[in-house]
Amino acid sequence: MKRRTFVGAAASLPAFSILAAGGARAQSKEIRMIESGGLSGDSIQVGYIDPLKAKTGITVVRESPSSLGRLRALVESGQTSATMFELGSGVVLQAKKLGLIEPIDWAAVNPAAMFPEAKAEYGFGYQYFSTIMAWRAGAKEPKNFTEFFDIKAFPGKRCLPDYPHYCLPFAVQATGVPIDKLFPLDVDTAFKKLDEIKKEVAVWWKAGAQPPQLMKDNEVQYSICWSGRVVGDPAFGLNFAGGKADLSFFGIVKGSKPEDKAAAYKLMHEMSLPENQAKAAGVISYTGPSPDLDALLPKDKLWQFPTSKQNKAVQYFENAEWWAENGEAVNKKWEAFKLSL
Amino acid sequence: MNRQERSTGFGFVAPLLVLMVVAFNAPIAYMLGLAFWDKGQGFTLEHYQGLLEAPVYLRVLGNTMRIALIATLANVLIGYPLAHWMRGLQNRARLVAIALVVLPFWVSILVRTYSWIVVLGNAGLVNRALQWSGLTEQPVQFLYNELGVTIGMANVLLPFLVLPLFAAMIRIDDRLLQAAASLGAPPRTIFWKVYFPLTLPALAAGTLLVFILCLGFYITPAILGGGRVPMISNLLDTLINQIPRWEQASAISTILLVVSLLIFAAYRRLDRTASL
Repeated sequence: MKRRTFVGAAASLPAFSILAAGGARAQSKEIRMIESGGLSGDSIQVGYIDPLKAKTGITVVRESPSSLGRLRALVESGQTSATMFELGSGVVLQAKKLGLIEPIDWAAVNPAAMFPEAKAEYGFGYQYFSTIMAWRAGAKEPKNFTEFFDIKAFPGKRCLPDYPHYCLPFAVQATGVPIDKLFPLDVDTAFKKLDEIKKEVAVWWKAGAQPPQLMKDNEVQYSICWSGRVVGDPAFGLNFAGGKADLSFFGIVKGSKPEDKAAAYKLMHEMSLPENQAKAAGVISYTGPSPDLDALLPKDKLWQFPTSKQNKAVQYFENAEWWAENGEAVNKKWEAFKLSL
Repeated sequence: MNRQERSTGFGFVAPLLVLMVVAFNAPIAYMLGLAFWDKGQGFTLEHYQGLLEAPVYLRVLGNTMRIALIATLANVLIGYPLAHWMRGLQNRARLVAIALVVLPFWVSILVRTYSWIVVLGNAGLVNRALQWSGLTEQPVQFLYNELGVTIGMANVLLPFLVLPLFAAMIRIDDRLLQAAASLGAPPRTIFWKVYFPLTLPALAAGTLLVFILCLGFYITPAILGGGRVPMISNLLDTLINQIPRWEQASAISTILLVVSLLIFAAYRRLDRTASL
């Protein structure tokens, strides 16, 4: 047994070196990606990595979590062991500004049809997710964010995100601003609104798993949380109205080897195929960037997905440019606000 | 010790020393240096200036100090009587008590912190008992405020205070206390004049250790504080992982380090004057 593996390895060695000498056409048999973990990571495995492995034999090893700080450490240490890195829509711009990611060679990816916003210069938008209002089953149901923020008419503890870019636009909506007029964001109005309800906010969440758990435990009755964590669970009610549709991207880590990049582009191609996206959506209720995906999803579950027609129409889309400009200044105000709690 | 002996001794220690410097001190020095060194610009104090102009980060540091102080005091109030009580136990009971104090060390800090939600939450054991017994109508808000953070931190850090204190207490010779009693001192005087001063160095060392550990606490404030209790390590997490402004984080860390060292120096000075 041992001898045969040795012979096999020896036989494949010349072939491998020829491939490597082939330059741009060569590709690695194993690459690494850093993604955000949890069910979302499982959906990448089932939807894209497994099909890629079956077709090409390329292995993709997943690691998590994926913070911008980790990407910066990876690039600045010159240790580019990971080729693909998951980034939020705003983070793509930050990472680009800091010179941590490379432009994507879309010709090499050769993707199937994609929504235009997902086909960015520096990122492959692979997963739509929504941030929406949800409540513990049985609580009085708000129809919009004005009602959600009305603690008199809708009594109950709230659980809101401990991130300004998730929290502030909803507070602005609560003052009656329609979703197409949210940006440029009126930060002061947003904080004034938050001041009104902060006494009723029991928890400011950092991890997406917190709000559903806190609602189940009856610690809070209302949350702003990620749609995939609450849809399809009878313990919760939810409403996409006024929610935020956002897109997660994969970027290519700066300084990656060409053969690793070639393999990464192969995976991105798999990510663009609607049949693979349907598999991923079976694991977590988030959707891929293909306009043809709706037809492949189960009809009775369309209401759960961020990009299905009835949901996409009532949400606003994250304004990553505005946050890239103003994020840091807003963050200081956010810290000051948190000190006033 | 002659000179040759001293140099061979150093030879044995050198590998460890090199490891410490290369793997531990050098990266820290590099991180702390980040605040002073800008790429392309050279030496700068810009990041410290930024802290002074927008003092919100310094206020978070102040808040951290305050909560660390409260948690440390809570620790002393619980830990001192506990250690004293353990000293008076019989051998077997004492072993059981030590095991119970150390036991939480074997449970993941995350599990320990979450279990407080089960105990103190709105639908938790304590609130149910309170409401069942008719003491309160509404659930008492134990968690997601400074009280919750203090309880959680006291729980996690208690062994750090109790164990050194207990070790010092069992070393106290009972005959000293008997001698004081035979000279007619009432129990209270014996405690304050004889017993307490003998435990003071261990108490001071344990308190200092707990206080400094409190300053860097991350998980407990994040979970039991409900995001309502800003502490410096959570702020540093934002600055390092999300924004990422390592230079600003480095400046804050340097200030934190200096403050901790000052506290330590003050303690050493007190210790020396006390032992003189």
